[in-house]
Amino acid sequence: MSKFADIQIDQAIIKRAANGDSHAHGILYRAFSTPVYSICLRFTRVPAHAEDLVQETFIEVMRSIGQFRGEAAIGSWIRRIAVTKALMFLRSAWTSRGQSLADDWDDKTPGDAVSHGVSRHPDDALDLDAALQNLPSVSRAVVWLHDVEGYTHKEIAALMGKTESFSKSQLSRAYQRLRPMLTIGREGLAADSAALRSY
Amino acid sequence: MTSDSKDEEMIYGLTVDEHDALQRELRELPDTMPPRAVWQRIREQAEAEGLFKRPMTRRPSTWYAGIGLAAAIAFAALIVPGLNDNLQRDLPTLPENPPTNTTQLTALQALMVESRQLESDLRALPGQPRVRRAGTVATISEIEDRIAAIDYQLNDSGPRLSPGDEEIFWRERVRLMNSLLRLRYAQTQRTAF
Repeated sequence: MSKFADIQIDQAIIKRAANGDSHAHGILYRAFSTPVYSICLRFTRVPAHAEDLVQETFIEVMRSIGQFRGEAAIGSWIRRIAVTKALMFLRSAWTSRGQSLADDWDDKTPGDAVSHGVSRHPDDALDLDAALQNLPSVSRAVVWLHDVEGYTHKEIAALMGKTESFSKSQLSRAYQRLRPMLTIGREGLAADSAALRSY
Repeated sequence: MTSDSKDEEMIYGLTVDEHDALQRELRELPDTMPPRAVWQRIREQAEAEGLFKRPMTRRPSTWYAGIGLAAAIAFAALIVPGLNDNLQRDLPTLPENPPTNTTQLTALQALMVESRQLESDLRALPGQPRVRRAGTVATISEIEDRIAAIDYQLNDSGPRLSPGDEEIFWRERVRLMNSLLRLRYAQTQRTAF
């Protein structure tokens, strides 16, 4: 379950926010700024970019909350805005580098996992976190949207302007990189690590 | 489960167990709070773009509203004995100019009393255990943060809240206090066993 969905806000506060009440927007910000910042930081890895995206997200919330009809939870609605902003940012970053989304994996080699501080003998969540950070941006976003936020491949494809096969392919490649970092099945780690090094 | 059937249940190269573990571990990764300055930037931009509307200012108080507020405070002190000293530190200060609408005042009164009772119940629980579940701690911390945000709004020295606004914030505070109390109680129960 996404952390966004766990946060409940009184309808009266949403209504006050829709009327431009700064106090109510302050409450919304305090309730959702941490999950919004976290997801933006996961996608961009750069705190300054994540801060800009948080600002863009909540300004968009202020502009659009009058159109929020309450069919979905307020958290899902805010998450959607944050994800769209973050993906737009990634897309613009890729565009400025003259790369397509599919090229993203070409920047990364499996050895990066070690060079970026990922232990080959992981013993805590830091290893998975570091491995996740070391994934190409698009794959990291696909993993996060699919496995943490609960998006379907169809939804991810629509958000990224790609096909479902693209989303599945990114997920599959990412899993192979993350698999050695799982706490489950550590007994097979040595073999996996050897395979990774010889890749 | 046979190895053949296990293979059939591979999810993009992971076994079902591995996939479950990956999802669980990803969801347990810690969140990060944005720097405090971000809200200030958002506020400044929102004000520059005219996204905030000025709240309605409160009309001057009348003598009978003052009596109502005094009754509310006295009632709270009666049903929650011994709270007066600690509450001044923990709770938002009571409004100097109480609402003029007596119906609103009654609702506010009830919410304030309930909030104080919940504070008391919370303090009656044992301290937080040394060994705690990270997810629970994060949730407790988040709720405490949101209560602090509401307290800040209720204590804000800016334009005073309207009675309706004040009631909304107190109601949200009571709802969050209830959530916090349930979590802390569950935490205590887990420690006891």
